[in-house]
Amino acid sequence: MRTKAKYFLISLIVLMQVSCSDWLDLQPPGGLVRDEFWKTKEDVEAVVMAAYESFASLDRTLFVFGEVRADLVEGDFNQPWNEQLLMENNIYPDNSISSWANFYKVINYCNEVIKNAPVVREIDNTLTDFQMYSLMSEAYFLRSLSYFYLVRLYRDVPLILEPSESDDTDFYKPKSTESEVLNQIVTDLETNRVYAPSGGFPTIAENKGRASKAAYDALLADIELWRFNYERVLSHIRNIEQNIEIVMMPSARWFEMFYPGNSLESIFEFQFDGNRNQNNGTYGLTQRFSYQYDPSQKALEMFAFEFASELVRGEDASIKKYGDDDYIIWKYVGMAPDGQTTRTGAEQFSANWIVYRLADVMLMKAEALSQLERYSEALFILNDIRERANVPAVGLANTRVAFEDAILNERALELAYEGKRWFDLLRMGRRDNFARKDKLIEVIVSNVPSTQKRILAAKLTNPLGWYLPIYDTEIERNKNLVQNPYYDF
Amino acid sequence: MKKIRITIIFIAALCSFLITNAQERTILRGRVIDKGDKTTIIGANIVEYDSDDRVVNGTITNVNGDFVLQMSNPANTVRVSVIGYKAQEIPVDPSKTIMIELETSDVALGEVTVTAEARSVNTLTNIDDRDKASSSVKVDLMDMQDIGVLSAADALQGKVSGLDIIAASGDPGSGSQLVIRGLSSMGNSQPLIVIDGVPQFRISSSFDLSSADTEDISNLINIALQDIKSIEVLKDAASTAVYGSQGADGVLLIETHKGRMGKVQFDYQYKNSLNFQPPAIPMLNGDEYIMLQLEAWHNARGVFTIPQEIAYNRDYVDFHNYSQNTDWIKEITQNAMTHDHYFSIGGGGEKTRYFTSFSYVDEGGTTINTSSQRFSTRVNLDYFLSRNLLFQVKFNYNSNAIERNLSIQGNHWRPRNVREMAYIKSPNMSIWEYDAYGNLTGEYFTPINSYQGDGVTFFNPVAVAKLGMNDRMMNSLENTFLLQYRFNDWLLFRETISFQYQGEKSKNYLPYNAIGADWLAWNVNKAEESNNLNQSIRTESQIAFNSPFANQDHQLTGAFTWITEQSGYEWMNIQSNRTPSTDIKDPAIDAQINWIGTGSGESRMLSGLSNVNYKYLDRYMIQTILRADAHSSFGSNNRWGLFKGLALGWRFSSESFLNSLDWLGESMLRASWGVAGRQPGDVYARFATYESTGTGSYMLNPAIAPTSIQLNNLKWENITSYNAGIQLSLFNDRVYIESDVYQKITTDILFGGTQPSDYYLIPTTSGYDGLKYLNGGKMTNVGWELMLDGRAVRTKDWLVSFNFNTSQNINTFNELPENFNPERSTSIGNGQYPLRVQEGEPIGSFFGFRYLGVWASDEDVVARDVDGNILRDSQGRPIPLRYTDSYTFKGGDPIYEDINHDGKIDLNDVVYIGDSNPDFIGGFGANLRYKNFDFSAAFHYRIGFDIINGVALQTEGMNNRNNQSKAVLSRWRVQGQNEPGLLPKAYMNHPANNLGSDRYVEKGDYVRLNNIKFGYQLSQEMCNRLGVRKANFTVSARKLFTFTNYSGQDPEVGQDASNPFWIGVDNANTPPPKIVTFSIAVGF
Repeated sequence: MRTKAKYFLISLIVLMQVSCSDWLDLQPPGGLVRDEFWKTKEDVEAVVMAAYESFASLDRTLFVFGEVRADLVEGDFNQPWNEQLLMENNIYPDNSISSWANFYKVINYCNEVIKNAPVVREIDNTLTDFQMYSLMSEAYFLRSLSYFYLVRLYRDVPLILEPSESDDTDFYKPKSTESEVLNQIVTDLETNRVYAPSGGFPTIAENKGRASKAAYDALLADIELWRFNYERVLSHIRNIEQNIEIVMMPSARWFEMFYPGNSLESIFEFQFDGNRNQNNGTYGLTQRFSYQYDPSQKALEMFAFEFASELVRGEDASIKKYGDDDYIIWKYVGMAPDGQTTRTGAEQFSANWIVYRLADVMLMKAEALSQLERYSEALFILNDIRERANVPAVGLANTRVAFEDAILNERALELAYEGKRWFDLLRMGRRDNFARKDKLIEVIVSNVPSTQKRILAAKLTNPLGWYLPIYDTEIERNKNLVQNPYYDF
Repeated sequence: MKKIRITIIFIAALCSFLITNAQERTILRGRVIDKGDKTTIIGANIVEYDSDDRVVNGTITNVNGDFVLQMSNPANTVRVSVIGYKAQEIPVDPSKTIMIELETSDVALGEVTVTAEARSVNTLTNIDDRDKASSSVKVDLMDMQDIGVLSAADALQGKVSGLDIIAASGDPGSGSQLVIRGLSSMGNSQPLIVIDGVPQFRISSSFDLSSADTEDISNLINIALQDIKSIEVLKDAASTAVYGSQGADGVLLIETHKGRMGKVQFDYQYKNSLNFQPPAIPMLNGDEYIMLQLEAWHNARGVFTIPQEIAYNRDYVDFHNYSQNTDWIKEITQNAMTHDHYFSIGGGGEKTRYFTSFSYVDEGGTTINTSSQRFSTRVNLDYFLSRNLLFQVKFNYNSNAIERNLSIQGNHWRPRNVREMAYIKSPNMSIWEYDAYGNLTGEYFTPINSYQGDGVTFFNPVAVAKLGMNDRMMNSLENTFLLQYRFNDWLLFRETISFQYQGEKSKNYLPYNAIGADWLAWNVNKAEESNNLNQSIRTESQIAFNSPFANQDHQLTGAFTWITEQSGYEWMNIQSNRTPSTDIKDPAIDAQINWIGTGSGESRMLSGLSNVNYKYLDRYMIQTILRADAHSSFGSNNRWGLFKGLALGWRFSSESFLNSLDWLGESMLRASWGVAGRQPGDVYARFATYESTGTGSYMLNPAIAPTSIQLNNLKWENITSYNAGIQLSLFNDRVYIESDVYQKITTDILFGGTQPSDYYLIPTTSGYDGLKYLNGGKMTNVGWELMLDGRAVRTKDWLVSFNFNTSQNINTFNELPENFNPERSTSIGNGQYPLRVQEGEPIGSFFGFRYLGVWASDEDVVARDVDGNILRDSQGRPIPLRYTDSYTFKGGDPIYEDINHDGKIDLNDVVYIGDSNPDFIGGFGANLRYKNFDFSAAFHYRIGFDIINGVALQTEGMNNRNNQSKAVLSRWRVQGQNEPGLLPKAYMNHPANNLGSDRYVEKGDYVRLNNIKFGYQLSQEMCNRLGVRKANFTVSARKLFTFTNYSGQDPEVGQDASNPFWIGVDNANTPPPKIVTFSIAVGF
């Protein structure tokens, strides 16, 4: 009997240890795992927001890429070394500034949404088709915007449309050509524009901070302008013009576009709110004691009282003077066009990054019109913008070149430090098979010390050098990537 | 007394029932009397021995001197012994009552040694030690216990062939790196430690990252050395496969002392050690330093404004603070004492045996403000509840408080420790602050900005050591319960449950007056506290069987085991700064909280293990191991890992055709094959997780993003090993030789790691920087080992023995995963080595430029083509050699070899320049005993490996404001100067005079007198007179002499294998000290 009991006990102990494989299924205590995610519409929306947030955190990068190689800023002594090399067009593949990782991070988030929103639709009945397509359209917009930046920076880039969900994914994608990428994103945008939200959010911030139909139109117009499809530019802009909620700000309230932001003129801007720890990078970049970027000599000539007649957009608005040779960029630092009130506290980190606003779009339209030789319509727009800025109207010879130069100049005045200038120059330089390459070089070279002028001019004669190299670690990680031609030595 | 001895023998007999056989019993009867006066002897031992001279059975005489012995085998011999009489063998004659007359003897009977344990119970296998056909070495640590070693790793150094042990640092409480038969995986290879059958914690992956460092990871064996009876090193996969997924890097089996039958024994040992450092690298004094700086500025700038600090200007307010000759190294170095107390009680009776020990070690460090206090206690209890039922309890508690110095990171790319700073700190600066009149103020001199740079990057090492705090407190507790039931002669069941708990707390504090920073700076008055908790529960159910056959020719043994394991960890970390006073060191006060982090995790494992061994005629052995592990780190597709081993042995010495060879003792040939494995360190690596983003929101909407990629293909890393070996015992056991050859192949190597910087890098177009893990590639270790033991003289008074071991291991990366990025870093520049792995080269290779000396003059600097012709430009002028596009070399600059002859020194000229893997490692030693005196010496060597002399790299570059070593006194100064061994010129901010090159790659080869010991054991007579059981006195020294050409302080420092791209760099850690120890051990 005792023996039997012993055997029983022993077999019990053994049995207790044998258990089903559930025992081995352990999930991490912090965070959600993929199997448990993608269940509700809130999940979809949260990843869309992560894509916005992640793109927004690129604001400093967008400033650097849009301005540093152009002629409106100059580096101060705190300018990071790698950005200084960029400014001198002295870029090698080992310069970390050429890393595209953050753009692809946004793209991956968008790809996650585009792939998984339909999956959630199957599970969560509260997610309507309308909501699903609307959220997906925002993802398409951000993905397209990302790619649009990438092709303007690198020309040919890998086109990745599937999320990296597991290690079964093929991570080693080769480059697609610029036109393949552009065709893809134009198709995506045109297909999904219909689902894009059209201003139905409860707050203005959301209407301006999320991809609306107007944002779609502006992006499409920008892409088509880059591809020199002027008629299509006009047709996209027509949609914006029909939107009565987007109007030009009057002169007196011009600065309200930057503080408090989300003005009537705004079409799409990345939102920041220091109170919620959503901090921008532009204040830290341009405030007086950061000593990173200051207005260039050219900018002073354009804006400062001594030289120019810009009152609305000039000193105390685009820039601010502290003393001789002590100017700063004011758009992200000031709270009013008075050159006095600087942002304080959490406000310092709350300046939005404007991607598109109506003045930008109207100047795009003028550019398209002038290229189509519809000069009078173009001139009308140009003078409209000038009138709003309280500067005298101009008269122009009816040549494309005259208009191109005038519009380029007007864009510099209107959109200074909004990350547009380099891409504007690049667009001009590329137009008509690099017909005006020299003009581009002239503009850029004017902003460097005289000792470097010749070297830089020589470097820029090859248009391939206008694009960035692929970061060398990226090349090392992906054997299917070929270095961009100019840097392939 | 007699009774106890009787019981010893009785139990010995009991223990030996493993080997009993079921033959017919013979009854032997007799009476024992004194030969002289013919009186009967009560309590004489009558013991039956088998043919191998092992105790089989026994009895004692009763009050009439009569005995009855039931013999197991009539062929066995029977001996009678009792104290005070000469032992006698008696004829086995069951037919009559035997009269035995014992002669009195003059000498008292010495100790009775009973060797009854035939099987190693602590392993999961059921094989006789002598029958093991896989490769393992057992080291007896008894003779190491009087020496000033504090850890098992120290004691093993140089003792076992194929086991490479390198101290992580000489600071108290820091552990060692143990590598068995070469590095076999990426990341940290550390053998599994098994104490009395219980595998010890692996430091879990997601440990609090801020405080974990290499030293923590290497500090694996933390029990009192005196508790250790023996250590067995399992080397090939046929033996480590028993531990399945945990055995990939080899296994150390540690056996602790157990209670012995008999009278209570008290043992006390006290060791007192003096620790001191080998001589440091001589550094420039203040004046030499200032001259060097002036020269460097002059060479770089021509005419320049001399900074106040090095201008010898008496009117300068800080004149006194900058005009000293401080020997910083000396200031942070001290001689220290170590006290080691050890006390144990052991004993037991028939039913219970016990062993308890207490150990307290107070170790002083040779760098100021470093120390370690360790208290540990152990209780081992055995209860024999009945003849068939054994209950065992083991309890072990450990507490270790370690005081260390902070490492501080300012603008330098990594934190620098106090010693590293002492090397580079400008020697003209004062430790203590003087006022403008030359009076000491009583404060440390910690300017916010000094000539060298800001006061955080160039801190005052003495102030940081004295005022900073970096303490660690570890507590660990381990409980093991074992219940063993014997069903019959050949079958037994064991159930083991063990609990392990480990808590660790670390506290850092840096007051503002220790460092040159503002009171409100984020990095001062900064308090940090972290807690880590680890616990695990392990159960093991085993059915073991022994040959059930009556026929002794066939022996089948084995065990089936079922193991479950679960372990969990938790960590918490708080950092706050701006504590209101330098004396408030607790982060919980209402200061500014910088960061609070917590984390936890859990992992589980199930394993089934089968071990079947067959032996025929005691000569032919076949041993098989099959283990299946399922671990929670893997998805259900790759969850089960199968590990297996097969070992064949042939005891050829027992063959009849070799019987004629008298000189041949028990010898064996063996061959084995096995597969062991390894699981990833991060148990949750396979999951794609979604977490709140940085700010957690965009506008008012929550934002969640995927943070890692799901790993569907994660699987076990596989290590297959082949081993062939021979064990030879010659000339009546005077010479013992053991030799092995092996090949160890790692496939499906786990690339990646627990921290983002270790991840397997993938293109960022994926949206991620890397995968946590990727299996791929192949690595091979091939090598051989030889161990030699010789007992030259064995007489009553003399014992002379020698031992020698050596091993060679060759490591090769055979394959890298497809798409693997072999470049970890492509940075070149002063002090930087590109980091790579290359197929065909070993892990831990160095890459850099080749240094060829110094350009004698400006005209000599020319670029040459492949044929050695000078390259010329279009005008026929020679083209000078350049560094990338940025600098043209001049006279006094170092010459780097232009490998591709393009006139430019750049990344393309980087070549393989060295290897941190030693070609040969091993040790040798001798023991000598004469009567009560004994002497031993043990050497340890590592031959054929390279070290990057990181100290020289920092102190011979002469391109910045760091202090430099005396070596720079012979530097290039004028054009045309051309002497052998000349160093390049001093040149401030030179872009390329100190590139990562073979200039700093040195041969690390060394032979070291690891231990030397003189001992005296008090004679038995004296002991008796003093009333003690035994007494020993020992004087010993550790690491007294080192024979090496390495120019650094010690060639054993900084062999950190945790980063496989950067092994073997001397980063100025505290070198292992020289230790002189006096020990006294008394037993009652």
